Amino acid sequence: MLAARASRNVPRIARSFATVVDTTGVKVAAVDYNQPTSAVTVLVKGGSRFQTKEGVAHALKNFAFKSTAKRSALGSVRESELFGGVLSASLTREHLALTAEFMRGDESFFIDLLSSFVTSAKFTRHEFEEYVTPLIAAETEAAANDPAVRALEAAHALAFRSGLGSSLFAPAHSSITVADIKSFASSAFGKGNIAVIGTGIDQSTLSKLVEKGFAGAQAGASASAPTSSYFGGETRLDSHSGLQTVFIGFGTTGGPSAELAALSAHLSPQASVKWSKGLSPIADSIPHGASVQSVYLPYSDATLFGLLVQGSSTAQVKEAGKAAVKHLKAASQGIKEEEFKTAIAKAKFAAASAVESRDGLISVLGSKILAGSDASLDATLSSLEKVSASSFSKAASSLLNAKPTYVVVGDSHSLPYADELGL
Amino acid sequence: MFGPLSYSWAPYVKSSRTLYKWVKPVADWYANASGYRKYGFKYDDLLVEENPTVQRALTRLTEREKYDRAYRLKRASQASVLHAHIPKEQWTTPVEDNRYLKPHVTEVMKEEAERQMWDTVVVERK
Repeated sequence: MLAARASRNVPRIARSFATVVDTTGVKVAAVDYNQPTSAVTVLVKGGSRFQTKEGVAHALKNFAFKSTAKRSALGSVRESELFGGVLSASLTREHLALTAEFMRGDESFFIDLLSSFVTSAKFTRHEFEEYVTPLIAAETEAAANDPAVRALEAAHALAFRSGLGSSLFAPAHSSITVADIKSFASSAFGKGNIAVIGTGIDQSTLSKLVEKGFAGAQAGASASAPTSSYFGGETRLDSHSGLQTVFIGFGTTGGPSAELAALSAHLSPQASVKWSKGLSPIADSIPHGASVQSVYLPYSDATLFGLLVQGSSTAQVKEAGKAAVKHLKAASQGIKEEEFKTAIAKAKFAAASAVESRDGLISVLGSKILAGSDASLDATLSSLEKVSASSFSKAASSLLNAKPTYVVVGDSHSLPYADELGL
Repeated sequence: MFGPLSYSWAPYVKSSRTLYKWVKPVADWYANASGYRKYGFKYDDLLVEENPTVQRALTRLTEREKYDRAYRLKRASQASVLHAHIPKEQWTTPVEDNRYLKPHVTEVMKEEAERQMWDTVVVERK
């Protein structure tokens, strides 16, 4: 019976993934798991790597759902409250995502709301000064006080310099004007740059509404940014609040590789069972009070992989950092067969479970949908299956041959230097 | 009528070409005779600003407009202390006497009306 059920489930899973349809230049994809609520995300290729001026992408993100030709900012908020919907905007280095979550049946209003921002946002100066600037300042401030975020921002800047290196957050004292945001928006909101992804909504309904809503969108080709190249380097930042933080990172260029996903899963000391230590080789040698997280950030043409070491004292961080580097090097020299199998299983689970959540679905499949390629998880899972222990070690050792990206945030006088950790 | 801009016959007068032709010269004479231009003011400088609507509108001026407004107020205060008009070459000309604040005030009033509407809206779910 189990076999019968399994065989029935497989094609259903395969079918329920998003299918991409090109509706008058805008790519539309929908998945329906029969949830009680729907969500529609307008994914724009307008992340911080495409920005024309430092912080413009961040400003545009915070301008989301402000007044448009159809309704004012207050009107958008009040009306979506009456429908019981939630509006949100998020920014990554590649994409700007505008999301509306709502009850089934309210899709026509929310898609109209999303599309009217894309096609007819007013970008008024007073809204920028009264609502947007305080938000930008608050987010920049919050990011500056979080050592992990600061370390990753600095690591990106060191690793990729321009493009992917540009920060997700506007500088604390920026000279962004409404005109800058307007011109960035007009270049980003072209039809070829937009994908609409719906969950819990029928594909044909979504296509119809998108066709109606985005009819007025300007025709624009897909944005392109110069190809990323990896540089690496070392920087030490002072911070008086939060945990002592060290980021040990390595980057590669080219598309996301399954080997690095497996390496990240292998090294991640995160335990699968509560109140236990993980199976990762690092987990045993971390001193109490310190933590190590593996960071695997795949982008369209580069990947940043690293270990984020945090602790309340610099001595702990130094010890944990030494252990992390030791095991990273050990992984590049070879890996035991059972450890390798565990790593692959963990990586596969991480990839598959990411798609379960709405945010994960957008971040995993969004770029594929924008590129118009096969929007399913099959390629990712099968590429993980193809990884062998030798290709794993080879990828790890070629990663380590590059210059490391080393960032220290905290008490920079006593936190270790890269060579002290054995890099 | 009791809003910050108070009542105006201007839209009605402007709607009739004959009326406009007759009233305009009188209106121009009146604006000049009221004397604020001799103190370097613009008409919108005289707008009663002691209410939240105009205060909000004032924050929406550009930096340059804010600076110029403050300058005109100071210059006129000084002239008032001296009991004299400012030098004639500095008087506001009819061309310079533009409504730089009015569009912002009407915008703020529209927003307030919209907020009022949403606060008291009766929802009918179809």
